[in-house]
Amino acid sequence: MFYVPKNSVHKTVSRRKFLELGGGTAAALGIGSMTVGLGTVITRTPVSAASSEDAKWRQYEGTKLVFMSENTPPSFAIRDNIKAFYDQTGIEVEIITDGLPIVQQKVGIDLRGGNSDFALSYVQDKPIGAPFADFYADLTPLLGDETLPQDPEGYGRDAWFENFLDVCGVYYDRDRLIALPYDSAVACTFYRQDLYEKYSKQFEAEYGYRLEYTKDSTWQNVLDFATFFKKLREAGEDVPYGYAQHNGNFTWTTQLDIQRMQFANGRWIDFDIDDKLGSREPGPCNWGDEQSVLIMEKFKALGDVSHPDNLANGTLELNTVYQSGQIAMQVQYHEFAASVENAETSVAAGGKTAYAPCPKGAPEWIVNGGDAVNGTNCGIGGIGINGNASEDVKRAAYIFAIWATSKNTQFDVLKGVGGTPTRKSVMDIPEVQKARTRPTEMPNALTFDAVYDFGIKDPHFVLGPKIPEANEYHNIVAAESQNCLAGRTTPQEACATIKQQIDNLNGV
Amino acid sequence: MQKSLSASRASFSAIEEDHGYAARRLDYGPGALNEEPKRRYHILLMAPAIVTLAAITIYPFFWLIYMSLHKVSVARSDRWVGLDNYARLFGDVKFTDGWLLLLKYSALCLTLEILIGVALAVILNGSRFEKVLVTVFLMPMMMSPVVAGLVWYYLYNGTFGWYHWLFQSIGILGETSILADIDTAMWGIVIVDVWQWTPLITLITLAGLKRVPQDQLEANMVDGAGSLRNFFTVSLPNIYPFLLIAILLRFMDNFRFIDHILVLTGGGPGNATRILPVYLFDVSFQFFKLGRGAAIAFTLLIVTIILGMILVRIFDDPKKQAASGGAGETTDD
Repeated sequence: MFYVPKNSVHKTVSRRKFLELGGGTAAALGIGSMTVGLGTVITRTPVSAASSEDAKWRQYEGTKLVFMSENTPPSFAIRDNIKAFYDQTGIEVEIITDGLPIVQQKVGIDLRGGNSDFALSYVQDKPIGAPFADFYADLTPLLGDETLPQDPEGYGRDAWFENFLDVCGVYYDRDRLIALPYDSAVACTFYRQDLYEKYSKQFEAEYGYRLEYTKDSTWQNVLDFATFFKKLREAGEDVPYGYAQHNGNFTWTTQLDIQRMQFANGRWIDFDIDDKLGSREPGPCNWGDEQSVLIMEKFKALGDVSHPDNLANGTLELNTVYQSGQIAMQVQYHEFAASVENAETSVAAGGKTAYAPCPKGAPEWIVNGGDAVNGTNCGIGGIGINGNASEDVKRAAYIFAIWATSKNTQFDVLKGVGGTPTRKSVMDIPEVQKARTRPTEMPNALTFDAVYDFGIKDPHFVLGPKIPEANEYHNIVAAESQNCLAGRTTPQEACATIKQQIDNLNGV
Repeated sequence: MQKSLSASRASFSAIEEDHGYAARRLDYGPGALNEEPKRRYHILLMAPAIVTLAAITIYPFFWLIYMSLHKVSVARSDRWVGLDNYARLFGDVKFTDGWLLLLKYSALCLTLEILIGVALAVILNGSRFEKVLVTVFLMPMMMSPVVAGLVWYYLYNGTFGWYHWLFQSIGILGETSILADIDTAMWGIVIVDVWQWTPLITLITLAGLKRVPQDQLEANMVDGAGSLRNFFTVSLPNIYPFLLIAILLRFMDNFRFIDHILVLTGGGPGNATRILPVYLFDVSFQFFKLGRGAAIAFTLLIVTIILGMILVRIFDDPKKQAASGGAGETTDD
């Protein structure tokens, strides 16, 4: 019924395993998952530390693994290029992609149910990593294993962009590493410089300063821009809206939208914890304090002059709004530059769009005495290995993980379908350096100045909250900020109810 | 061969006598189906199906109750908490709001689907293009709910959705699209549900209308009744049992189908469309609080059963049964 190679380590499914699959998994996922589970086959040719590099790469030849990932460019690009991996290792990897909430559910059931249908999975830092960190394999013993191939550049913090390894791989303590950075989505500003130039004089006459966007532009400036464009529209002029928020049903980005504005103004964070490490017991949250209420008021003010579909615009929808020319500015994740620069689908292509860091805090909006910074948040997707898998499956999966995050693969991804690198050395490739200015064949590289040279560095970088209840946290913040934007609650009420729900969530 | 058959018959007779069956030889006359050997034989044949059904319904049911009495979350430490999961639901605003939204959503969907479905069935019944039109009307029902949700998601889209443009053009909507407005999002979902499931009501009602005795209709017309009076005095009592089935089916579907909502709004904006089953899904598979999710699921199950029984009791009123001219017996079978 199933193909089982002669040198297979697990030639049959044990009775115990079969019952586990039948009882636990089938109840949770249905019979379909059984076929996925049985689809994993592991074969092994033992090697020693002194074996050749080729032998180390090929020690699991004949193995089949399943990788569950988000439907983002790196996954598609690696799937397109998977033959190169197969040729090098003889390992077949089936890459299944879906939307992040679905990946979170499927991977969560697999990990939490004690199964290993997905030997490899996408570890988006907060939605997947924070709740399931304990169920992933610790990569540290594999990183130093001389019987496995290793990346010549290594895996230390310096090999990746600032903070990336901590963001996706480290949770609650620094003893374990559960993922290697694989994909990044970092916020930056996309704006229509053609429109800004066109209306600059008109704007200056009214507001007393030029309609231009720089790294020093503040959220107050953004509010002014949005108000200006909305007034023009109401006066009957054919202009787009000035700004739009992410406030759709993709709660993860909806939560990030208010978070970056909160952080920019005084470096406010949700909990008094190490933002990059996270905490299992974060204690009382800071929602409801004077600073958070003030920024919620400003967030509502900005929402009132933004695109009218704010409450339906998730990340993808917002980008469609921008591509269709309905807004002049968005704070978006840098991987979307490739779609914005596609002349066939975007009216904002052809040099009309400029990329810059996220808006800076406005000094007059800061009441907690903190700094005004360009609050930049992100989602760093790592590639992790299922802790329930057998040691051989973990080792075979590791070979794929280091290949997928290697310099050459990341360069291919960037060049191919517009991925976003996580390894620093990709920047040293002359083609990439050249691609950072127009005309370019790698449109995402146009964002690199704003993102890699500026936004991801401290003090601008904000991550949190890495807590086990991260998904419920997102849900609460998203729903209550939506209620506030819709006028159902005041900013004070919204912040108070967020605090009450989150403290209750964390047992405070 | 002949010899072998004779031997078999002899052997069979011996077995019958051994088991005392000989006095009750099976025949195929009236009442034969009630005989005990036949019943045992039937039970034996049904046993695999009964065992399978038990395995996939009874086992999960007791597992659900077990989980609802434990803290089962993403942490490895599952532990007994007694009725704590249930007690906490009373202080959970999303749980109580979820119930209110679910009742509102079900009432809206059910009312509209019954009214439109019956009206369509009456119009279609006996019309010249009945078969063609019924086929056309049934098409939405054949679509997967997720696909239907996606189609409407794009039709409602504020940037390129055709329905958004239409609703705006005729002044029903302002600039904000239907799913982006906290006050209209529920209506957006109700419209999709009505579009997809009204045909089911139409189909069932049509089946009922075909069984309305023509002589009653004609006699009523001779007495001077118009079409409307004819419908209320003759057709409606006759299709009553069919409507009961339709209402029960849709009522239970609305209590468990969340596909449209997950695709269209995910429960938002705010919590405007987070009906209880959506909240249950969130708690179980987004927040991975399986113990709390099991408690919500169990309360949902119990309330659904109770409401279902109340509905049956209301619609199974003997007076109404009598008014339906005995057609109600169909449901008792």
